[in-house]
Order: sequence, then structure tokens, then C-alpha cells
Amino acid sequence: MAMVQPALPAQPRRAAWKWRQVRGLLTAVLFLAPYTVFFLAFLVWPIFYGLFISLHKWSLFPGQNQPFVGLDNYRTLLSDQEWWTALQNTVEFTVITVILTFVVALGAAMLVSANLKGQTLFRLIYFAPVVLSVAVVGLVWTSMWNTDIGLVNNLLNRVNLPSVEWLSSVNLVIPSLSITTAWWGFGLPMIIFLAGLRGIPPSIYDAAKVDGAGAWAMFLRITLPLLRPTILFVLVTQIIAQFQIFGQSLILTNGGPGTASMTVILYLYQVAWKFYNLGYAATIAFALAVIMGVVTAIQFLFLGREVEY
Amino acid sequence: MARRRTGRFLLYLIAIILGIIVLIPFLWAVSQSFTPANEIFSIPIHVIPVHPTLENYNVLFFKLGDVEIVRWFINSLFVSTAVTVLILLFDSMAAYALSRLRFPGRMVVFFAFISTMLIPAQVTFIPLYVEMQKLGFLDSYNALIWPYLANAFYVFLLRQFFQGIPRDLDEAAIVDGAGAFAIFWRVILPNTKSALAAVGILSFTAVWNDLFWPIVTINSVDLRTLPMGLTIMNLEYGGTPGPGLVMASAVMAFLPVLIVYTIFQRSIVEGISLTGLGGR
Repeated sequence: MAMVQPALPAQPRRAAWKWRQVRGLLTAVLFLAPYTVFFLAFLVWPIFYGLFISLHKWSLFPGQNQPFVGLDNYRTLLSDQEWWTALQNTVEFTVITVILTFVVALGAAMLVSANLKGQTLFRLIYFAPVVLSVAVVGLVWTSMWNTDIGLVNNLLNRVNLPSVEWLSSVNLVIPSLSITTAWWGFGLPMIIFLAGLRGIPPSIYDAAKVDGAGAWAMFLRITLPLLRPTILFVLVTQIIAQFQIFGQSLILTNGGPGTASMTVILYLYQVAWKFYNLGYAATIAFALAVIMGVVTAIQFLFLGREVEY
Repeated sequence: MARRRTGRFLLYLIAIILGIIVLIPFLWAVSQSFTPANEIFSIPIHVIPVHPTLENYNVLFFKLGDVEIVRWFINSLFVSTAVTVLILLFDSMAAYALSRLRFPGRMVVFFAFISTMLIPAQVTFIPLYVEMQKLGFLDSYNALIWPYLANAFYVFLLRQFFQGIPRDLDEAAIVDGAGAFAIFWRVILPNTKSALAAVGILSFTAVWNDLFWPIVTINSVDLRTLPMGLTIMNLEYGGTPGPGLVMASAVMAFLPVLIVYTIFQRSIVEGISLTGLGGR
């Protein structure tokens, strides 16, 4: 990290040298200060404050007493059936959504990079849902999935298939949320795959063609192995992103039917803002942090080689 | 050769089918927004309204006391713009210090910043809320702007970009007598325009789309952001006057965004592949 400094006079006077140091430090403080104020106030402090809150019985409403309860909230968590349900639902949602998103995104990226006419238009359309907010996605898909008046069942009926209770059946609600989410988000990893595909030299494919390799063989033997870093990156960022599902389950199902689509963040939200139990909600947040911390640590482990500090 | 042609044909077919699947929900929303309520509930449903109507838009804009969709749009625009401008200024200053200035503890500061990227944002939700409560920031723009500025990811990203600018440029400026601020303003920033644009797009869309934080901190109807306003409206009016109205609000929310996206799609897409990371 050595920096090239402008040439100094051979024997600087001590006072001048000291002034240079002080001024350098002052400049750095000046440049760092605006961001650091917010960093400390709204990121570092809340992390420790959250730990403090999780050790207390803490109501949403100020003014009530907040007795210290030690690890009580954490003990409650371990035996809280709804927390485990929420966690299980979240894992299930994450697995289905990531697989679905991955396949569609990689497929779309290969289509867009296949030199089709109108590929810019295809890319434009595929990426369009990404710019929507979760609220819009939620409203539109609530209507799409509606059992009686939704478009999906209407299309099924047209080809003589029976209506399906997409959002009100315990078994289908999570896959339905996953399809919604994959529709919304596949354009993002598609762009990352596109960048990855562009990095593969065409000469490799040409050589394989000379050797008589088919399209499928080339996909398995060339594309997938050479895309490995990109694939890894997409998988890990997707897992982290999908694990934080909140808006879709809030708007489309509000966790229902029953608790069939209750997810971790939605549960945290309800504990805090429906049951006013901030102490317990902070505990849920820390449990989630531990789980996601493990996943993120794996990300840094795998991607660390590529990131230059 | 024939096999190759069928292959091409198949590719086009798949590409078009995928395009239709992506477009259908948009078209459905538009179609529903022009459908009168009695038609929406008639079975079998009509995919395209028989008697199209503007009534849903009329109700949306003029008839509901607690729906202020234009105001919510302006709120979202104001909050997202304010956060993005402040992030671009403050975070690039910090990134400049970390990339170019020499001071004791520089690496410590840097690692302190990036270590917070390991901690998911949800951990701070509850304590931040209590903090907002104590500062009296709840139900005001203060809650919707300041907490977003703490994200370390953008500092990290900008510093990586700044590292990529050749130091020869700094030195040339130093020879010309430029100080730290002049180098930052006249060398670093002009040479990282595309990176700044990428960070700007990421932060803007992240704030624009956020639902959780506005929903927990804002109460007043006229302070709602667009996603929050739509979500609450859906809860209140999803049954009556009905889906047509809700779809009209969805169309009003996605139309401007899609127009902006279509105009700037090149730089948006390039920005995202430049940073390699999405906003969510």
C-alpha cells in the first residue's frame, strides 16, 4: 500500500514535517467525518444497542419499564414453534427461488448472447421486472394468482385444466411466492451471467466444434466450468437476498394460510409491530444474523480471492 | 445445415415465449385497470375488458381521501434523490480518504467499515427504530433519509473504483500545486463517472423500492412512500372497490419507472454488471 509522495527537500525542518503530519491527519478527518458520523450513529451503535435490547423485556411503547431478563428471550426462541416454522419456510422458499432464478437467468443469458436478431429487445424485456418495487410485484401477482378471478387459473381453465388454489393451499403457497420472485428478479443474475459469458473466448468453442462437440457437450464441458466464479457469485448473493424475503409474503399472503408462508423477517415484523415485543424481535434479528453470517462468511471465503483489498 | 436452422428456430421460440411470460403480468395489470368492477367479478372472466372504463383511475386520483398517490410518488422521489446525492458525496469523500490519503490507522478504519458488511441489515431494524423514537425522528422525513446513509457497501465499492485510477494523474495534479480537495474534485470524481452512476443507480433503486423501513417508521398518509402507500391501499381497498382500482395504482407506479428504465437501460444494465451486485 506504499504511496508515492512528492519529493521532499533533503532535510526538512522538524516543525514543517510535523505540520505536514497534522495537516494530513486533519484532511483525512475532514474527508472521513461526514460518512463516519452516520456510520457510527446508524450502524455501529444500533448493532450493540440491539444486543442490549435483546437482553431486556422491551415494549414498542416508550415509557414502560424495561427489565433486564438475561437470556430469557433467547431461551424462548429455541422453543418457539412459530420461529422454527418461519425458518423452515424461509429455507424452503430460498432453495426453490434460487434454483428457479438460477436456471432461468442462465438460460436467458445464453439466449441473449446467442446472436439472435433483436437481442437488445429481449434483454430489455427480461430485465424490466427488476426495476419494479416489491409493492407493485405484490399487487400484480396477488391478482395473477387469485383463485376465482386470476389470470393463471383462467388460462388453465381455457385448456380444460382445473383451477388451483395457488396462495391458499399450504403446499403451493411457497412455490407460488418463489415463481413470483423468480419472475421479478431473474434479470439481475442474467446480467451478471452475460458479463461472465462475454469473458469466455469464442476460440474455445470454435476448437470444440472442430472436434465435433455438440451444443450440449459444449455447455457442460466449456460454459459451465469457465463460468464457475460467476455461478458461485450468483448463488451466494441470491441465497442471501432471498433469505431476507419480506414484502412478497406480507402483500401476497400475510404469512398465510395459517403460518404456511410465514418467513423470518415477516415474523420479526409481526413480533415487533403487531405484538409490540421489541426485545424478542431483536433476539430474532440476532439469530438471523448468526445464520446469515455463516452464509456470508462462506461468500467471503469463496470470493475473497477475487476481491482486492 | 437443416438441423442448425431448427436449432435457431427453437432458440427464437424459447426467447419469445420467455418474453411473453415476462410481459403478461404487466399487460394483465393494464387490462384490469381499465375493467369495470362488475366485469372483474363475472365468471368466466374477460382477459380484455368488454366495456373499458377510466373509472378506476378517476377513483384513484379524485375520490379517495386517504389515497394520495401523486404525493407518495413525490415523497419517494424526494427521499431517494436526497439519499443518493448525500451517499455519492459523503461516501466518495470517505472512499477518497481510504484510497489516497495517508494517515495513521487507515487500514483499521477501512476494515471497521467493511466488517459491518458481514452483518445483515435486519439486526439494526429494532435498535434503529428505538433510536428514531428517542430522537423524535419517527413519522418524518428524518427517519426516511438519515439511516440509509450508514451503508458501508457503497464506500467499499467506490474505494475499489478509486484504487483503479492511475496515481500518475494525482501526481500530475500535485506538480500543478493541487491539494487533496482539488485532486478529489478534479481528478478522482471526473475519472469515475460511470462508477458514480452505478452507485447512484443502486442506492436510488434500493431506497425507492424499500418497503420495510417506511412501513415501520411512517404513520401519516401524506408522508408515505409509494411502495408503502400501495401496500396499505391494497389492504384497505383490495376487496372493494376492488382489484381494478388496485391495478390502476400499480400501473401508475410502474409506468414512470419503466419509461425511465427504457431510456436509461444501457447505463443501468452496464452499471449493474460494473458493480457485479444488485441492490437487493
